Amino acid sequence: MTVHDLTIRRPVSRVRAGRRRKTLTFIAEHSVAIALALVFLAPFAFIVLTSVMTNDQALTPDLWPRTWRLDNYVKVFQDAPMFRYLANSLMYSVLATGFMLLSSIPAAYALARLRWRGRDLAFLGVLVMMMLPPQVTVVPLYVLWARWNLTGTLWPLILPNLFGDAFSIFLIRQFLLTIPEEYADAARADGCSELRVMWKIILPLAKPGIAAAALFMFFLTWNDYFGPLLYTSENADNWTLALGLATFRDLHRVQWNLTMAATLIVMLPVIILFFFAQKAFVQGVTLTGVKG
Amino acid sequence: MTSAKIYRLALGLGAVSLLAAACTATDKKSQEPVASPTASASGQVSFWHFFTGREAEAIDGVVKDFEASHPGITVKVSKGQDDEKMRQAISAGKGPDVGLSYSTDIVGNFCTSGAWRDLGPYIKRDNVDMNQLVPVVRSYTEYKGTRCSMPVLADTYGLYYNKKLLADAGYTEPPKTLSQLAEMAKKLTTHKTNGDINVIGFMPFLDYYENSPAHWAPHWAATWFDQAGKSAVASDPAWSAMLTWQKQLIDYYGSDKLTKFSAGKGDEFSAANDFERGKVAMMLDGEWRIAFINADKPNLDYGTAPFPAADDKQNLYGGGYVTGNIIGISRGSDNPEAAWELIKYLTTDTGAIVKLANGIKNVPTTHAALTSPDLQVDDKFKTFLDIFANPNSATSPSTANGAEYQNLFGTWIVKWQTGRATDLQAGLESVAKQIDDSLALGTGS
Amino acid sequence: MTTLVRPATDERVVPPARARKVPAPLRKKRRRHRLFVAALMAPWAIGFSVFFLYPLAATLWFSFTRYNLLEQPVFIGLRNYRYFFTQDPYSLQAVRNTLWLTIFVVPARIIFALLIAQLVIQIKRGGNVLRTVFYLPALAPPVAATLAFTYLFNPATGPVNQLLGKVGIGWQPLWFSDPALAKPTLLILSVWGLGDVMVILLATLLQVPNEQYEAAHLDGANAWQRFRYVTLPNIWPVLLFAAVTGVIAMLQFFTQAAVASAVAGGTAPVGGGLGERLGYPDNAMLTFPIWMYVKGFANFQLGYACAMAVMLFVVSMAFTVVLLRRSRVFLYGAEEA
Repeated sequence: MTVHDLTIRRPVSRVRAGRRRKTLTFIAEHSVAIALALVFLAPFAFIVLTSVMTNDQALTPDLWPRTWRLDNYVKVFQDAPMFRYLANSLMYSVLATGFMLLSSIPAAYALARLRWRGRDLAFLGVLVMMMLPPQVTVVPLYVLWARWNLTGTLWPLILPNLFGDAFSIFLIRQFLLTIPEEYADAARADGCSELRVMWKIILPLAKPGIAAAALFMFFLTWNDYFGPLLYTSENADNWTLALGLATFRDLHRVQWNLTMAATLIVMLPVIILFFFAQKAFVQGVTLTGVKG
Repeated sequence: MTSAKIYRLALGLGAVSLLAAACTATDKKSQEPVASPTASASGQVSFWHFFTGREAEAIDGVVKDFEASHPGITVKVSKGQDDEKMRQAISAGKGPDVGLSYSTDIVGNFCTSGAWRDLGPYIKRDNVDMNQLVPVVRSYTEYKGTRCSMPVLADTYGLYYNKKLLADAGYTEPPKTLSQLAEMAKKLTTHKTNGDINVIGFMPFLDYYENSPAHWAPHWAATWFDQAGKSAVASDPAWSAMLTWQKQLIDYYGSDKLTKFSAGKGDEFSAANDFERGKVAMMLDGEWRIAFINADKPNLDYGTAPFPAADDKQNLYGGGYVTGNIIGISRGSDNPEAAWELIKYLTTDTGAIVKLANGIKNVPTTHAALTSPDLQVDDKFKTFLDIFANPNSATSPSTANGAEYQNLFGTWIVKWQTGRATDLQAGLESVAKQIDDSLALGTGS
Repeated sequence: MTTLVRPATDERVVPPARARKVPAPLRKKRRRHRLFVAALMAPWAIGFSVFFLYPLAATLWFSFTRYNLLEQPVFIGLRNYRYFFTQDPYSLQAVRNTLWLTIFVVPARIIFALLIAQLVIQIKRGGNVLRTVFYLPALAPPVAATLAFTYLFNPATGPVNQLLGKVGIGWQPLWFSDPALAKPTLLILSVWGLGDVMVILLATLLQVPNEQYEAAHLDGANAWQRFRYVTLPNIWPVLLFAAVTGVIAMLQFFTQAAVASAVAGGTAPVGGGLGERLGYPDNAMLTFPIWMYVKGFANFQLGYACAMAVMLFVVSMAFTVVLLRRSRVFLYGAEEA
């Protein structure tokens, strides 16, 4: 199952002509790789270094902190209600992901593993929904939520996931397609109802795909800026980390060193989560682009 | 059709009809009958304003006084709320009972659309004497006969100058004419070794801190709209005079250098403000800057004066741009009586006005407060009180579109000052047309 | 029509439909099956109607009105569209900006991702580490990444210009503050975050069968020819997918441009909202969605914003159709092809 195996395999048969060219290529490739890696990591390095400087130094050409002000991280939490933003972000991401799973897994299952008339039409609907920029429908949706008196909160962003998320449905469906039908056939032969087949047999096999979809949803909502901007701007109690971070620089007396510290704080949970769930994550990304 | 399809169709139709029902206009009546004078106001009132930090604390102090003198009313204060947020909230039916806006820009829009309630009935019922307010603030808090807001302290703009930097260059007096300003600005500027500007005499960019066409207009007597209500930026020669003067100074410095200087500017409302840091010798700013300097850099040796006027219009000298904070009751407010009590207190109670004026160093708007012995006036603050009283002082007109006409002009000016637009008259005419078109679209005329 | 070549050992094909006879006793089972499907699809069906079909129709309706949310919508016909094409000083600029981003950022990301993926494959030891390093920036929340970049590229105080000065390069570009450089700086930011595309391409490249490479080499093909005749045909569906999703992502590009504008432009005028700062510098970063947001939620011309939304919809759907037509096998699986 190559989709799930992502250890890098070396292409076996690259015929190399001569040791000298081999060494030169080796050096060239590795130098470029290292240089590129450094360039890609450099911004992170600067962020970290700036976050422990004093603010005065942050505005000067000195790139290495003269004094290490680790208390900047404490100050960030004092200057802005980061804990509240964190709680809001967690609530948004966790609930949205949970609701998404509840509604999208069944739909993905029906689209992938059951046959019924109208199935392809429904899948087309999912695809179209997936490709649509959210800005197209934002105005009437905003009016709707205003009428239901939920603007100023995160609910307009969380609740729609109870009714399926197109991208997640697509992702899980693609994964479900890869599970051989034999498992289901065997279960049906044993007399299992369709519900049991889905619940006991197929879905447990789909755990990696479901995990990938869940992770995607979590990151998407964690990083969402436009949504909270639109719906919770006027109510700072409900801001998420993304929105809080963006307006961090608007607060009086904001400094770049603190801003960078806050930036790092917002980045860290995602990076940590990634390291723990690497396999599932990369798998999910691959699923969107690779079938089979 | 399969039952699956039927189910889905049914669901779809059900949902749509539900929404159709939800969407039929709930025409919220914004004005319930005003309660009789004997009804006592009580309950909770939400109050949004735009101030933050030290200024927000000053507001808190006055609000506490209000709660003390009006037991039964509690005020829930939200700071840092700008016009956009207020408008969004009011539109969604969740506006605050009382909202305070930083400028008069929204008066036109809020009064015509009913976003803020008409205060006329309340004023009449409680016999509020409108003559206690200075005339100019009365004019900018109403729109076409509807009074939907009251003034809360005014702002005037003048020149701040760094006495030490001026003295170092041999100047003892601030400039009175614009050519003096330009000349002194050049002499007061110093450069770094790599050619970048180190300290600038006067920053001519019109999007730097408080520089804006509206704030500069009174010093050339430039008008925004003609009698017919059409934009006058192209027809009034004062505007091209202003922009020509500005361009000469920009060309002297080099717009790239100015852009770089501007990119490195400190936050306007912090101790890193360029003037407070000594990076700018002369600057246009509002009277509130005095309080900021007192708090951030009390040892700064500076002076205040009216902003210079055009050479050929020296009679204008002594005036300046005037605007103010305004306050109103949101359309969907549940407790308009208590809201009105808060507004009355903040806008007509002399003690409250003086305390707030002393706290944030803004200009009081009632005659009584202006002449009150409790008002702390030093020579720096007196400059602004004089500007406020000067007959040449002007405010910017209110439109149904808010301040969009200013934004449209400002955007073109950025092109002008960075050298990407070179035909001044053609540019002004295009801006005038944009302003007219935008007003037409917004008002349906 | 190219398809993704699968290694022979994989059996992913869903077996062809079994013909079902319908004797009377099984009709009940069929009905139960349909009910089951309906139950599974119901939440999505509701969501599709309420959160997709209805808003789409409503947007179209609103686009013909003047609506500021405070008063009732007033029908004005095609006025909004006319204003957009003839009177709005920023609409064409917004279209140009979004177009620029689409034309330059999408290929840049894909090409660099491809090159880096190839490089990662070549490196024997530490390939996994490299993959992680290149993927990490894509994980950074867009707001955080943009904020970091605005600091890094601050023309007066940022490390990038400081480094340029130290190395002796006289050029001190204004980056986000220069209208000519603002979008290229956004491009740099986007390319920095190309990890998600790279990972997909990496997995795809690894699946290209070695036999094909060997055969090509035996035929005397050089590296470029190997790439053109072996690699490219194999990864073409994925490239297409990446390109189309990239285009659609650029069409809705909002966050990075908005944050960069707001932060590089400095603090808002006192009491002014976000809308007054977007587009800095000189509307170079005013993308189509940003202009839509400003018009709709800062200026409260919601009817006009809806007209813009309709235009965005039309363009997105055009690209979606392209993707759907070219990727039938890719999406539906071999049994449908």
